Amino acid sequence: MVSEIWTEKYRPSKFPGIVGQDDIIKKIESLTNSLNIPHLLFTGPAGTGKSTLALIIVKELFEKNWKDNYLELNASDERGINVIRDKVKNFARTKSLGNIPFKIIFLDEADALTPEAQQALRRTMENYSATCRFILSCNYSSKIIDPIQSRCAIFRFKLLEKKDIEKVIKKIEEGERLQINPEAIEMLYEGSEGDCRRVINLLQSTASISPVINTELISTIISSAKPKDIRVVLDYALSGDFQKSREKLLDIMLKESISGQDVIKAVQKEIWNLPVEPDIKVKLTEKTGETEFRIVEGSDPFIQLQSLIASFVLAGLGR
Amino acid sequence: MTTTNWTEKYRPTYFIDIRGQELAVEKIKEFIRKFRKGEKAIILHGPSGTGKTAMAYVAAKEIHSELFELNASDLRNSQKLREILSPATKQKSLTKKGKIILVDEVDGISEVDRGGVTELIRLIESTSHPIIITANDIWGKKFSELRKKAELVQLKEIDYRTIKNVMIEILRKERKFIDNDILTNIAIRAKGDLRAAINDLQTAASLEDPSQILFDERNKEMDIFTALRLIFKGKPDKSTLRLFDSINMPIDQILLWIEENIPAEYQGEELAKAYDMLSKVDIFKRRIYRQQYWRFLVYENALLSYGVSSAKTNEKTGFTSYKKPTRILKIWLNNRRIEKKKSIAKKYARYVHVGEKRALREFPTIKQFLIKPEVQKELRLSEEEVEYLNKIEQ
Repeated sequence: MVSEIWTEKYRPSKFPGIVGQDDIIKKIESLTNSLNIPHLLFTGPAGTGKSTLALIIVKELFEKNWKDNYLELNASDERGINVIRDKVKNFARTKSLGNIPFKIIFLDEADALTPEAQQALRRTMENYSATCRFILSCNYSSKIIDPIQSRCAIFRFKLLEKKDIEKVIKKIEEGERLQINPEAIEMLYEGSEGDCRRVINLLQSTASISPVINTELISTIISSAKPKDIRVVLDYALSGDFQKSREKLLDIMLKESISGQDVIKAVQKEIWNLPVEPDIKVKLTEKTGETEFRIVEGSDPFIQLQSLIASFVLAGLGR
Repeated sequence: MTTTNWTEKYRPTYFIDIRGQELAVEKIKEFIRKFRKGEKAIILHGPSGTGKTAMAYVAAKEIHSELFELNASDLRNSQKLREILSPATKQKSLTKKGKIILVDEVDGISEVDRGGVTELIRLIESTSHPIIITANDIWGKKFSELRKKAELVQLKEIDYRTIKNVMIEILRKERKFIDNDILTNIAIRAKGDLRAAINDLQTAASLEDPSQILFDERNKEMDIFTALRLIFKGKPDKSTLRLFDSINMPIDQILLWIEENIPAEYQGEELAKAYDMLSKVDIFKRRIYRQQYWRFLVYENALLSYGVSSAKTNEKTGFTSYKKPTRILKIWLNNRRIEKKKSIAKKYARYVHVGEKRALREFPTIKQFLIKPEVQKELRLSEEEVEYLNKIEQ
C-alpha cells in the first residue's frame, strides 16, 4: 500500500535515494555489504536522513524479515531507562531470524537520556552485544557520554544544502503532478531550514489546499504554523509588564506545544521589527544568542526565557 | 467528639480574656467609649494571630452591639459597598441595638482597586457607627489617606510565655496532657502567632505522638515565606548563604518559589539581574546532573540566595504577599487539555518514525493533511480523534 503521508511515501528505500550525505552512504553501504555492522552513532540536525538510513540498513540486511529483527525506540518518549531496558530485554531474548546473527535496535533522540540513563544504556549494550547491534541517533553528540561514543562508529550528518532540498521538491512535484514556480521553490527551501521532513510536510500541507503552489500559499502555511503572538510577549515586556509577558509566553508554549528553542527562533526574527534603537536591537540579539546557548547548557528553558524577557523590559526603558 | 476548632471554641469573649495586648485593649476601650459621628476610625494592625479580629468581636460584645462585618471583597465593589453599608450607617438598626462595623484585613485590597479605599474613607466620614479596621500591614502607599482618617493601634507579637500559658489553660479544659517541652517548642515556633499555636496544639493533641507536630507541613511553607522576605527585602549577608538550610524543602522547589515571586519585588535592572542569577543557577543544576559533580551545589545555592538578594540596589520595605509557584500546575492542566492532540501525535509519530514531542511541535503544519479521511484511515485514528481534528478545523 502506498502511504498517503508524503514523508513516508517519498522516504527512500535504497541507499542512493538519500540526499546530501554521500560520504556516509558510501561507508555504511560497504559495512552493510559485509553483513556485519558495529554499534553506530548518527549525529546531526533533524530531517537529514538518520532514521531513514537506519531503516535502509535493516531492510538491506534482513530483507523480508526486517520487521522481526528491528526495534525502534525514541528516548524522549519512553518513560525512563527502565522501560527502555525492559523493551530491549524482551526483544533481545529471542534469536534473530535469517542469516544475520544479530538484531538491530534503533534508539532515536538518545541525547534526551540523562547521563545516568546513558550509563545504564551502556551496560545494556554490553549485555546484549552478542545478539544486538545498536544504532543511536542524536542531534548533539556532545550530549552523549564518552563511554558510549567510544563504543560506536560515529557518523556526522550534514544540514541539507539547497540543491539537496530542491532535488526532493522536484521529485515530489513530479510524483504528485504539482505546479511549483521557482520563487515558491526558493521559499520552500527557506522554510525548510535544511530539514527534509519539514519541507515535505510543508509541501503536503500547501498541496492539500491547491496543486498550483505559489509563494502566497506557502507563506500562509508557514505563518499559521509559526508560534503566534510572540510579538505580544515582547510588546508586554517592552512596555514594562514582565508578569503579563511571561504569563503569555507560558500560555503560548503550552498551547502550541513548542520548545524553548522554537521560541528563541521566533524572538530572534522578531527583534528587527521592534520599535527600538538599532544599538538596542544588537544588544537584544546578543542576549538572545546567549539565551539560546544557555538553553542548550541548562535544564529548564522557561527559566532562561524569563531571563531573556527581563532584558526586553530593560530595552523598553532604553537600556 | 471534639470536631470544633479550638481557635473558635476558645475565642475571647470579654476584654479580660485577651492576652498579651494590654495596651491595645485600653486604646480600643477608649475609642469605643468616646466615639461620636465624624470621629476617626480605628485601625488595629500587626502580624497574624495576634488578636486583631478577636478584639473587634469582643468590643461589640462588651457594649452589647451588633458586629457588621465587611471583608475586602465587599470593599472592592463600591456599588455593592454602598448597598450593604448605607442602611447600616444611616438608619438606626432594626433591633435598636448599636452597631460596630468591622473591615477585616483591609490590606487584602489590591493595588488596582484603590476605589475601595476611597469608598472606605467616605464611609468613615459619614458613619454614625464606630468602624474597626484590621490589617497586617498598613504602611503601604495606598493607605496614606486612610491612615489620616484613623487612629493606629499596633498589636504586638504575643510573648511565647503568654502563648504557653494560654495553651496550658486550654489543655486543662480539654482534659488533655502534652509534654512541657513540646508546648515550649510550639509556643516559640509560633513566633507570636497565637492562632497558629492553638491550631498546632489541637493537632498535637490529636496525634499519637504529639512531638510529631514539630515537623508539620504548614511550618514548611511559613518558612519559605520568611526566606523569601529575607532574600527579597533584606541586605545580603553571610547568613543569607545558609538560609535554605533551615527550610525543609528541596532546592529545586525553592527555585520555583523564587522564580514565581521575583517580579513581585524587583523591577527593571533588578529584575534582569535576578533572572540572570536564576539562569546561572539553572546551568549549574544541569552541570550537576550531567557530571554528577555535587560540589556545584554550593554555587547553585549561593547564586540563588545571596545572588538574587544582591540584585537590588536598596533594601525593600512594606508587606508583599508571595504566591505559590503556579507553573507546574499550569503544565499539568494543559496536558489534560491537549490529551486528544497527544494521542493523535503519538499514532502519527510511530507511523512516520519520529518522536512524539517532535510530532506535537509539527502539529500546526501536519494538521492540514491530517484532516484528510484517507490519512486518518491510514493512521487508524479513533472516532474521538477524528472529531477533535474536525473541531479544530472550524
